[in-house]
Amino acid sequence: MRSVLDLVGVAMSGLTSRFSRTLLIMLGPIIGVSAIVAAVGLTESAKGDLQADLAELGTNLITADAAGSFGAQNPTFPEDVIERVEALGGVQSVTGTLAVEGVITAPYDAAATYYTAFPTPVLTADANFLDVMQIELLSGRWLNARDYAVGARVAVIGIDIANEFNYRAGENRTLLLSGLEYGIIGVYDNVRLADSFNTSVLIPPLTADNDFDAGLETNTLYVRADPDRVVEVEDNLPVAINLGGSEEVNTSIPSDALEASAKADSTLQVIVASMGILALVVGGVGIANVMSISVIQRSAEIGIRRALGHGRGLIAWQFLLEAVAVGFFGGLAGVGVGVFIVVFASRIFDWTHVLDPILVIGSTEFPSHTMGLPTVYLLGMGAALITSIIAGLYPSVKAARLEPLETLRLG
Amino acid sequence: MPDGSLLQLEEVSRIYGDEVKVHALDRVSMTIEAGEFVSIVGPSGSGKSTMLGLLGLLDLPTLGTMWVTGSSVRDLSDFERSRLRGDVVGFIFQQFHLIPHLDARRNVETALLYRNLSPTERRRRAMEALDIVGLAPRSDHRPVQLSGGEQQRVAIARAIVTEPKLLLADEPTGALDSTNAANVMQIFQELHSPLRAIAIVTHDPAVAATAQRRISMRDGRIVADEMLRSDGQPASYGGTMGDDGRGTLTAPEVEG
Repeated sequence: MRSVLDLVGVAMSGLTSRFSRTLLIMLGPIIGVSAIVAAVGLTESAKGDLQADLAELGTNLITADAAGSFGAQNPTFPEDVIERVEALGGVQSVTGTLAVEGVITAPYDAAATYYTAFPTPVLTADANFLDVMQIELLSGRWLNARDYAVGARVAVIGIDIANEFNYRAGENRTLLLSGLEYGIIGVYDNVRLADSFNTSVLIPPLTADNDFDAGLETNTLYVRADPDRVVEVEDNLPVAINLGGSEEVNTSIPSDALEASAKADSTLQVIVASMGILALVVGGVGIANVMSISVIQRSAEIGIRRALGHGRGLIAWQFLLEAVAVGFFGGLAGVGVGVFIVVFASRIFDWTHVLDPILVIGSTEFPSHTMGLPTVYLLGMGAALITSIIAGLYPSVKAARLEPLETLRLG
Repeated sequence: MPDGSLLQLEEVSRIYGDEVKVHALDRVSMTIEAGEFVSIVGPSGSGKSTMLGLLGLLDLPTLGTMWVTGSSVRDLSDFERSRLRGDVVGFIFQQFHLIPHLDARRNVETALLYRNLSPTERRRRAMEALDIVGLAPRSDHRPVQLSGGEQQRVAIARAIVTEPKLLLADEPTGALDSTNAANVMQIFQELHSPLRAIAIVTHDPAVAATAQRRISMRDGRIVADEMLRSDGQPASYGGTMGDDGRGTLTAPEVEG
């Protein structure tokens, strides 16, 4: 044990006595490991917000659109569709909307022409809407039982419409739906899984039927399914909706698109991480190179140590350990630099930095990082250590093979 | 067969080269007993450097047998031979050969590495050895901060710190001025004891005359092996070795 400590001491003093050279050959592992850590950390951080959103929004929302039979205009679902879908196994909650056609929305009369050219969708919404979308009101209130029962002329508007109409929280204001005054009673938060709602106006179904003859049916359903049964529910939805009728139902899972975009840059991750490994290999060649020269320069020292009774094995270990120390401390510094890059870039780009990425290149698992053991750091360190061991092999064998008689110049 | 001597060479040859063979040592037999003070003299190419390499266990005989404290060096692994070298031999070189990036104390401590000593104990012994050569106050100086004489004294401290049975010096005064050379030779005299043999390889007659025994070499052979009086002259007519390795009575040669 003490011999090992002696060896470590000798290797360290060999490195610290040539400090600038040691720093230079450490650059290889530093650049390599920091590139690997930064590559994974940055790509994880870049999509980290998206992943956090997904985790929050859930990936269990299913959308069902009424496509109708061939050629039908404005197809709708049967009136009792919500009860039937709610009864379906694996369904947690359901909400239905109907797009009300031909309504011109405007903040005030004079703007009607403009908003005819750029129409704002008007939809009906039921009491489950906020719950299924998992969003909250930013201000005001949601449609209440009386609104639904009497067909009140009230509207809840999306956040983008609220901004566009300069609506302030708590303000008593109306908007015009095809010239009819509707009171704005609330503003709801960003609907990330269906962002067309952000520019929409929601009104009670009865009101839509009274004012615009829209009917009381729905044409789009949003279904929250048991997370483990999403696929099953999606498969069963069309049958539950139509009971085998000829009408078409299009289903989709809106989070799929988000998920795809969250995963899209794993290619980039692989490319940058490969460049990091390349840097490590080049750095390893640098270590081997510099240490080989160092062995020649230190041949007298090697001869002295041999004369003092240190065997070939100890000489080899000494130089191997010097290389390994370069890899170890270089790798450690590389992790530090990589973390710094991730934090710094995240601050610039306003991301939430992800510093604990589990490297899952090419994995279909999602999310591709979880809280836990930071494998990238360990992988980076491991790669640096392995490179430096391989790089140190040749110089250390060369050092061990030196003949002390030749290096000491006796006589 | 080994006869209990510190070092024993029997018909030892060291031959370099494969096609053109150079006999750097040619069937040499001799012994060095514990506590002897020997000088090995001879002109360039006489084989004394080769002899030094063999005596210091840095080299192996091509032919013949060499025993060190009773073990035949040919039978030892590199590890065992290195261990034996570290235990039995203390080297002193003409060019001092201190490790440049270590201070005096650490240079001395280098000889104590891998011996299962605590850092404190190693340090204590190193300071003790430096004290013997009078350099304890300069223990934190690096070689470049020391004069040649001081460097050689550090090297001597490093050689004696392991308490070797043989101090093996290669032209120890060759790189020193006369004052420092005398100083170093004085230290050798003081270090010589019944437990510590000293062998000095030199071409300097004055240095050789300090020893009690002088081995003269030429062309890879021992041509004279004689005891010296305290004034450096041969105690009696020594034997000059003939080609058969047997002594014949002739006048001793004095190397210049």
